[in-house]
Amino acid sequence: MVGLTPLSAGFSLPFVPGIGGVEVTVLFPLVTFLLILAFGRYLPFKGAYLGIVSTGVGFLVAVATVIQLATGAGIRHETLHTLVAGVEGAGVTLTFGVLIDPLSALMLTIVGLISLLVHVFSLGYMNAEGEIDLPRYYAALSLFTFSMMAFVISDNLLMSFVFFELVGLCSYLLIGFWYRKPGPASAAKKAFLVTRFGDYFFLIGVVAVLGTFGTAQFAGTESFVTMAETALESGDASGINTFGFGAQTWFTVIGLLVLGGAVGKSAQFPLHTWLPDAMEGPTPVSALIHAATMVAAGVYLIARMYGFYALSPTALSVIALVGGFTAFFAATMALVKQELKQVLAYSTISQYGYMMLALGGGGYLAAVFHLTTHAIFKALLFLGAGAIIISMHHEENMWEMGGLKDELRTTYLAFLAGSLALAGIFPFAGFWSKDEVLYETLIHALGGGSPVLFVAYALGLLAVIMTAFYTFRMVLLTFHGEPRTDAAEDPHAVSLSMKVPLVVLGVLSVVAGLLNMAVLKSVLPKDALLLERWLNGETVGGEFAEGALTAEHYHHVLTSEYGAGYTAGYGGLGEGTLALVGGVVALVLAVIPALVAWRLYGGADPDPHMTNLGSLRTLLMNNYYQDEYQVWLARGVTLPVATLANKFDQGLLDGIVDGSGGVSLFAGGRFQRLQSGVVTTYVALLALGLLVLLLVFAVTGGWL
Amino acid sequence: MSEITTLPNWTALGPALALLATALALLAVDMVDPEESSSVLLTGTSVTGGLVALGLALWYLFAGTGQPAAGQEAPQGALDLFGGALVIDAMSLFFTVIVTSVAVLVAFASHEYLRDHSYQAEYYSLVLLAATGMVTVTAANSFVTAFIAIELVSLPSYALVASLKTNEGSSEAGLKYFLVGALSSAVFAYGIALVYVATGSLQFDAVTTAIADGTPFTSLLGVGMVMILGGVAFKIAAVPFHFWAPDAYEGAPAPISAFISSASKAAGFVLGFRVFVDVFGGAMGVFNWVNAFLIISVVTMTVANFSALKQNNVKRILAYSSVAHAGYVLIALAAFTGSVDGEISILGAGMAHLFVYGFMNTGAFLFIALAEHWEVGRTVEDYHGLGEQAPFACAAMTVFLFSLAGLPIGGGFFSKFYLLFATVTGGQGLLGAALVINSVVSLFYYTRIVRALWTEDAAADLELTEYPTGLYIAIAVAALATVLLIPGFGVVIEYAEIAARMIGG
Repeated sequence: MVGLTPLSAGFSLPFVPGIGGVEVTVLFPLVTFLLILAFGRYLPFKGAYLGIVSTGVGFLVAVATVIQLATGAGIRHETLHTLVAGVEGAGVTLTFGVLIDPLSALMLTIVGLISLLVHVFSLGYMNAEGEIDLPRYYAALSLFTFSMMAFVISDNLLMSFVFFELVGLCSYLLIGFWYRKPGPASAAKKAFLVTRFGDYFFLIGVVAVLGTFGTAQFAGTESFVTMAETALESGDASGINTFGFGAQTWFTVIGLLVLGGAVGKSAQFPLHTWLPDAMEGPTPVSALIHAATMVAAGVYLIARMYGFYALSPTALSVIALVGGFTAFFAATMALVKQELKQVLAYSTISQYGYMMLALGGGGYLAAVFHLTTHAIFKALLFLGAGAIIISMHHEENMWEMGGLKDELRTTYLAFLAGSLALAGIFPFAGFWSKDEVLYETLIHALGGGSPVLFVAYALGLLAVIMTAFYTFRMVLLTFHGEPRTDAAEDPHAVSLSMKVPLVVLGVLSVVAGLLNMAVLKSVLPKDALLLERWLNGETVGGEFAEGALTAEHYHHVLTSEYGAGYTAGYGGLGEGTLALVGGVVALVLAVIPALVAWRLYGGADPDPHMTNLGSLRTLLMNNYYQDEYQVWLARGVTLPVATLANKFDQGLLDGIVDGSGGVSLFAGGRFQRLQSGVVTTYVALLALGLLVLLLVFAVTGGWL
Repeated sequence: MSEITTLPNWTALGPALALLATALALLAVDMVDPEESSSVLLTGTSVTGGLVALGLALWYLFAGTGQPAAGQEAPQGALDLFGGALVIDAMSLFFTVIVTSVAVLVAFASHEYLRDHSYQAEYYSLVLLAATGMVTVTAANSFVTAFIAIELVSLPSYALVASLKTNEGSSEAGLKYFLVGALSSAVFAYGIALVYVATGSLQFDAVTTAIADGTPFTSLLGVGMVMILGGVAFKIAAVPFHFWAPDAYEGAPAPISAFISSASKAAGFVLGFRVFVDVFGGAMGVFNWVNAFLIISVVTMTVANFSALKQNNVKRILAYSSVAHAGYVLIALAAFTGSVDGEISILGAGMAHLFVYGFMNTGAFLFIALAEHWEVGRTVEDYHGLGEQAPFACAAMTVFLFSLAGLPIGGGFFSKFYLLFATVTGGQGLLGAALVINSVVSLFYYTRIVRALWTEDAAADLELTEYPTGLYIAIAVAALATVLLIPGFGVVIEYAEIAARMIGG
């Protein structure tokens, strides 16, 4: 067990053998999945409680792990099973193993928490509504949790890929839960196919990594990340196979291939089109997919191997640009949506754009921070939307709502907290993390990084304005003003099992920013930046030299000559001052559109102002005709190619196969004639056969 | 070896003696009360006798009887009996386990099959006598004992094939089997005589020494060897000595088809292994038998598989499949490199395949016995929709067939894989290719039966009224063994390797 040190803290769950056995967290949902699959029909609440217990225990173990790491336990990196052991020093090694470091422990906790709350919420959303087929729902939910947790603790790229795919499968099962309706069935298919398109590149990337380095390990001195770094640092790429390219060029290619998977899963432009459709699934599932699991997987993957990306300025620029553009692009579409969940869907795409922007802009810490806070407030918003939808009898159009704030007090307050966090209003969670994203991008742009960073930063700032606007439009249309329909007049009460998760997440949305108040770094003591200390590995005991997984090391690579060559510039202001100024600017940019939204939609009976946009609105409502062009790609390009391939397969290959079958049958018919049933023939043939043998060997053996 | 120091050497023949005693006891039971003898008593006695023999063989095998003791090298440790006329070593015990296992399964399965049969005691005692012969074949260490043992296998077999006396097919099959068998025995005996002329001995060790010392009569020795090869090829049903097999298997009662195609074939192979590897190993310069087996092996598997494609009678399909498997096992001789070394030898792989084959092939024929018991008919079409009425038996049949094809659902996957592996490492890639191509062809007709069982709709009047216990037990045990041989294959190949080293080491 590499990196295992005895526990210094007194906190330990009885069944968890220290950090050494943290992978049991992952096994709870797997066992639950199997149990529900086998006995779901007979379990109380169709397996809901079993799911709650198992994710609850999983969450506690994850928290215990975090506490252990925070109090001096060493990180854990162990190969559990070797699938293919390469020849020493050559060939490819394929393994399964776990890597528990600050990043994966943090993510494990998020996944455990959100999954637990989604299970609890489902009691009210699914069970109380009398849905059928619930064992299937809970089994898929458990499998989803298992896949994501296993993905998070993977210690190599191949294992990541395996669970990445399993996550994709689970999302297919859950989005298409109501498969009898055409909408969900087609949305599930779309999510599966579009993400699969990205995963195709990811798979090639995995093969490229294995072909180049012979290993896909994330951590340790023999990891591909460290090997790549060493090769660039020493300028000596011997021992790795770059297929004739320059080392850095080839690493960029690999990085971009793997990025393909992240773009698909994290719904980045142009593969974002599946996510809005995925709203067809049950709302708790939307919360799980968009806050903690599937969509987060893409960003997490980039963060996991950030040491590799930090070597390639080109790859980073691409990530930053894709992220910034997605943040902006998705936000524009969110402006005009009429359905609650659609607004949230586009805001999700936009927020993941921010994370990508941070990663590309050199802000590893900022990306992880935003991933954390976003997981909380977006889960809150989706669950809140679920509560609203239930109380509105499955009405999702915001123009059919209004005035819900008095009837649904708890939901309103929680939803408001989430919205303020999303809009980035001080002091809610989103303010701190989003500001850090923009700040990191800005300083690296100012420091002489590629001009692309400026463009990406500007797009990010524009998105701030729009985010605040559409968020408040959503809140105002839903909760304020006069009720516009009978359903809004008299909404369902929200049950306790739905309220509890909302309250928990609501509180967290307010306080999660405390993790890293970097805006105030000029006035705060250094130790107050908890997340920075955490990701720098300052709390972790033992040697954290496991292939240098710390944020500090990533920064070192990022700013080094052989790496991306980023430098930080502060535009003449000091570091702390610039942080403060950036924070104020972002806050002002968020507050003004919020006020505008208040002005436009705050009345008792607001008008649909967006119709004034005319043809622009039509464009936005149709999502820039993204779906149309992708359908055209599928029909106009892919289909003819596939038809051609099919012709080839049917005509030539099947022809050969069928032909060989025909020849076989013909030969069979001939052989059958030997078996005439006449015993004298048999005896004659037998004697003949013996004679032939005798003759052949008599001649060749020289007996004659 | 501790029990050998306490037990006299002749007790090593325990399995054969147990079978013989049971056969005689059955006749005695029948003599006491020929009219009213209970079929449960008869089946029970036969199964008990078979199990005692099986238990003894397993005990000896695991206790290390007939194996080199610590510090010894194979083939030391073999027990010579009766002046070297018989030998008990790891190989004979390994094959005794196969033969007795099959015999027990067949005895179980015959219980219901023979319900209206008027000569049950005779039937069972013939089965046990044939089994006695097979066990003796495994231990034969002289051409005399070998010939007598082979005849002890053959004569009861002829009678058993014809045992459905009122059934024309059965009688015809028995007669054909007898005629071809008689010719083959004659060829075999003639071969033995020629070898005796050339070497001056009938005892295997003496013949080996004589060949090593050189004999002036190489032509006679060569012709004798070819003829002995003919005798072996008849027993294992290899082309062109296979013509009897499809007809005999089809006409015989299905449990007897299982018995002959599994156990009798194993006995034939054990003789082939011992005679050619051990005795004629030094006579390769006279008659390159490896090449002869190479030709026979490829021709056998090809002819059999292609013939099976066109068949419509399930029992006949399995008959050809059984011939094809003889071709696969012949690879063990056809790719023999002159010695047994390395981790996995081709000889060991062949023996392991025979072991697995003993269960999966017996199981498949016993399913046919079940179908005959139900009187659903003989063709593939008649099996349509059986899966719905008898899911357990059909699942077992699926396991047997796919395992025969070499899919990883039963031990057949590993044994074929080891055969293939051994051909490739032994530099016999073409033989390996023939194995693969033929396995693919075989998949076609195996799948055809499986498809008939599960996916086709049954005839309207198909209704099974009875589920015979004995047959089901036998099928269940065979299926269990076939599946368990996946994890347990390591043990099988380990003992097969020890057995191979006893003759080729």
